[in-house]
Amino acid sequence: MAFRFIHASDLHIGRKFANIPQPQDGNIRGRLMEARHGAIGRLATAARDTGAQHVLLAGDTFDTATPSPTVIRQALAAMGDAAEVTWWILPGNHDNLRDAEPLWETIARDAPGNVMALTEAVPRDMDPTAVLLPCPVAFRAGASDPTEPLVTMASNEGQLRIGLAHGGVTDFTESGAAIAPDRDRSARLDYLALGDWHGRMAVSERVHYCGAPEQDRFKHGRRGVCLAVAIDGPGAPPQVEEVETGAFLWSEIDLPLHPRQDAAAALTAILPETGRRDVLLRVVASGRAGLPDMVDLQRAADRAAPEFAHFELRTSGLGTHYETADLDEIDRGGALRLAANALMQDAEADALSETDRDVAADALARLYSYVREAAQ
Amino acid sequence: MKIRAITLNNLRRFTDPARVDHIADGLNVLSEPNEHGKSTLFDALQALFFKPHGSRDKDVTSLRPHAGGAPEVTVEVETDEGRFTLAKRWLQKPAATVHRDGTLVAQSDEAEAWISRLLGGDAGGPSGLIWVRQGMTDLTAGTKKEQDAALEARRDLMTSVGAEVEAMTGGRRMDAALARCREELGLYATGTGRPRANGPWKEAQDRVEALRRESDALTATARDLHDALADRKRARRDLRELEAPEAAEARRMRLDSARQAFDAAERHARELEAETRKVEMAQLKADSARTALDTLRDTLKEQAEASRLVAEAETRATEAKAALEAQRAARDAADTAVTETKAALETAERDEKLALRAKAAREGADRRKELTERIARAEQARKAKEEAAAMRTGPDAATLRRIEGLAAAHATAIATRNATATQVIARYDAGRDGLIRDGTTPLQDGQELPLTRATRLTIEGIGALEVRPGEAGDDQSVEAAAEALRKALAQAGVEDLDAARAAAAARAEAEKLHDQADLVLNSLAPDGIDALRAALASIPALDDATDAPDPEVAEAALAKARTAHDDARLARETANERLSDLRDVASHAEATLTSLRDRVKRAEEALARAGAPSEDALAEDHRAAIEALEMARARHAETSRTAPDLAAAKAALDRATSVEQQARDEIARLKPLLARLDERIQRSSGEAVEERLEEVKQELEAATATLAGIEHEVAVLIRLEKALETARNESRERYFEPIAKELKPLLHLLWPEAELTWGEESLLPDRLLRGGQDEPIDILSGGTQEQIALLVRLAFARMLAASGRVAPVILDDALVYTDDDRIERMFDALHRQAGDLQIIVLTCRQRAFRELGGKALRLETSSEGTVSD
Repeated sequence: MAFRFIHASDLHIGRKFANIPQPQDGNIRGRLMEARHGAIGRLATAARDTGAQHVLLAGDTFDTATPSPTVIRQALAAMGDAAEVTWWILPGNHDNLRDAEPLWETIARDAPGNVMALTEAVPRDMDPTAVLLPCPVAFRAGASDPTEPLVTMASNEGQLRIGLAHGGVTDFTESGAAIAPDRDRSARLDYLALGDWHGRMAVSERVHYCGAPEQDRFKHGRRGVCLAVAIDGPGAPPQVEEVETGAFLWSEIDLPLHPRQDAAAALTAILPETGRRDVLLRVVASGRAGLPDMVDLQRAADRAAPEFAHFELRTSGLGTHYETADLDEIDRGGALRLAANALMQDAEADALSETDRDVAADALARLYSYVREAAQ
Repeated sequence: MKIRAITLNNLRRFTDPARVDHIADGLNVLSEPNEHGKSTLFDALQALFFKPHGSRDKDVTSLRPHAGGAPEVTVEVETDEGRFTLAKRWLQKPAATVHRDGTLVAQSDEAEAWISRLLGGDAGGPSGLIWVRQGMTDLTAGTKKEQDAALEARRDLMTSVGAEVEAMTGGRRMDAALARCREELGLYATGTGRPRANGPWKEAQDRVEALRRESDALTATARDLHDALADRKRARRDLRELEAPEAAEARRMRLDSARQAFDAAERHARELEAETRKVEMAQLKADSARTALDTLRDTLKEQAEASRLVAEAETRATEAKAALEAQRAARDAADTAVTETKAALETAERDEKLALRAKAAREGADRRKELTERIARAEQARKAKEEAAAMRTGPDAATLRRIEGLAAAHATAIATRNATATQVIARYDAGRDGLIRDGTTPLQDGQELPLTRATRLTIEGIGALEVRPGEAGDDQSVEAAAEALRKALAQAGVEDLDAARAAAAARAEAEKLHDQADLVLNSLAPDGIDALRAALASIPALDDATDAPDPEVAEAALAKARTAHDDARLARETANERLSDLRDVASHAEATLTSLRDRVKRAEEALARAGAPSEDALAEDHRAAIEALEMARARHAETSRTAPDLAAAKAALDRATSVEQQARDEIARLKPLLARLDERIQRSSGEAVEERLEEVKQELEAATATLAGIEHEVAVLIRLEKALETARNESRERYFEPIAKELKPLLHLLWPEAELTWGEESLLPDRLLRGGQDEPIDILSGGTQEQIALLVRLAFARMLAASGRVAPVILDDALVYTDDDRIERMFDALHRQAGDLQIIVLTCRQRAFRELGGKALRLETSSEGTVSD
């Protein structure tokens, strides 16, 4: 019978989302926070649904080193509620051993019996057939491959060796702290469960990032998942199945535009039809649009925005296409046209800095909108 | 159109026809004093061109003279089509006509239309633009209606040469856009581009600032927490190491062994110390024995030496005493000799003095006699002098001369009075002499009796005859002279002139006697009699010492006695000195002897004190003490050689103690420290610092983005505002360019480099820029305002001309505030413009405008001269 477990990471419980603008009477931040806490329950459900008795949390369970007692206690209580599952919690860089010492002390002292804090790099038997080899993160920013101790960790003959670690496989900072992608082979692992990346990624057959079960950025474009892993026996290839756990969809959509196109219609076309309340959407407009299109686009965005959990339209990449007819709409001659011409000239002047060009372009767009409003 | 002649009739003061003729091209000047009708002329032109002949409004009625009548104005104008005569009459039989060469061209309404066409059809026309009424020195004066008309005229003119101002400057749409832009900007920023208080920009800035501060504070707290965690880790490790049982045991054992070693070393050190004391004691004993021995030897030697010296000194003292006695005797002998020679000397001196005196007395006897006689004679002379002085009374010569003068004056006064006074002369018949009396005095026959006052003459047997002389006769001079004479006589103490003369003679005699006696006295005793007496007293009298010795013998004896006395004195002094020397020698010998005797005595006493031990016994004591010292030293050296190192033992003990103490202190420090750290960590982690910090950081990020957005928005609005303002100014400038072009050369006559900016609403200059200063027109001085107003009108005239609507410029006292220097330049401006315009200047400032030049006009009435046509 295959050994089954759930691989998850980066719950970041307690994250506040203060960077998401919240209307006066809105509570999007609270909803996002709550969704992170709710991930515990959804992981438990996933475990039940897939017949797994263990949930491996590969680091950054908590967003900070010192979460408030409420955050800690409620998370532990939620894990305790899923009594049939054993939770294996690994310190990540956010809740690393040094900075989060009180946190781990609290967990060691107060956690329910089915929650195991992996604060030492020693093998732990999950059951007679499988041993868990944890690599807890000691410092916020390490200087070595945290999975190195795996090579020397012993296990009984015939036991599955399952590694659990937190960190990147690509050394972005050249600090030497990246995890060797072939660690599964060098440490004879049946599976290496990794955390830290919030997007799902299979590094190799036996090495996987599960991604955060609840997304918190526009980068990945899909709801969060956890991995349901089944391994038939030592040496057998793991069967990895993605189980969607995310409540919110963080989505960034490109909106390429060209002149003489109905920009408002183009925007409407790319918006999701349903479930908008649980969607955080960022529309990045690019290409070029005429002055009237710009106004129309902004109006369409303003109309749609309140339906979403969060909506933003980014037009910094959108160039303005100036047509004589549009400028004529401002004025055919006289001082207004003079001003419009001067601004257009500045907006297209290569000699000016990009900031000055943007300011001039926006000023012209504003002038256009004033004139149009006055005309209506 | 050019005006050639103007005729007024029945217009205010002009009840007779008045005419201005021969108005030329270019500059024309009508310079007349006030009240000569210049303004009337101006009003007449206004009326002709702008008042319909049917009008009866107040402008028209104001033209009517007091006497009543119908005002008439006739103007001859020259246009491209020829010369026309325009005439209008108002109120009674109103009429308007246009003639050309005597031919009626138009009349009534047709004539009005003709005139209107001539002006180019506009209502205000040249009046508001280029005609300046007296007293209207700025650009915007006049009634509301006039102002509106003028504005309309300007707008019309400007539009005819350019575009609509609305079209040029964007008009209301521009205003709306600018207002909207400013309104939006006003939400964020103040007029100076600073964030507005309580505005969203300021709020965003404040929020970023507050969040940054909070983030910093939280970062610090988080760092503190991390530090506390690290500290706690370290403290726990240290405490564990310190409290480990094997470490504590090792520390204790080391301390014990160090203490034992130290105790042993200390004991040994005490023994060594005792040995040292013993050596010192033995040394002292040896030293003392040595001293006793040496002292005894020294004392014995001293006793012997001192005794020998005493014997020698005694001999010397005896010798000195003997010498002293001998010298004392010698001195006494010398004393006696001195006494004797002194007595001899005194005797010799006395004798010598006696001899000298006797000699002087003999020599002075004759002189005494002579002096005594002289004194007696002098006394006689003095007595005579005193007697004469007593006699010297009576008037002196000057007084007498004065008295005589006064007497003469008196006589003269009487004579004079008598000569002029009424005189009565009695001529008695025979036998009747003396019957006429003045008072009691009878009048002498034939004798004139002058009468100086009313006099009653008694004529015996007849009665009294009262004679009253004339008043003028009495001048009181006789009484005055008599009084002066009387006073002088009284002063001199005499009765009359004769007595005065006698007294004066006596006085002269006495004075002569006095002078003679004085001469005698002076010759006898020039320095006075007392001097003579003193001289007499100084001559010694020859007394009874007739047996006085011969002076020469006495003198020789004196010299001898003095020499003897001096010698004796010298001998005595020498003896005295010698005696003193010997006395010193004797006393010194005595003193030496005494001190030597003391030495002997002291040595003997010292021996007695020593109790007389033998020298050998003392030497034996000394040797024994030296032996004891040697032994003690040997013992000390032995003890010292075997001593352990006390300092090292102490250092080892100190170190062991300190290690133990340190461990104890460290444990005592670490325990509460750990408790504190525990507490701190507990608290900080309970407060969820990192969680909060993370939140604040996110908020800060969002707030910073918001701020950046607002800053961009502000930049956009500022940029838009600037673009709009710049464009509007540019187009405004463009709109006003034609007039500015005309005005520029004129303006520069007055202010080089000056410029005017134009008001979009008023179509007039609103600000003057010169020398870097920007001033609103209405705060400029009256002179500057009127100059600008005039120049602007000239410029408008040029524009009118350029648009084919030539109109004369009429200026009625347009320069009232302008000073002499500026007026010159204004004249230049007028001349410059007059080239292709017709300018008519009306002025009362005859003198100032004499310099203007141009064609001089005259306003002629028919009563003054011929009215030509």
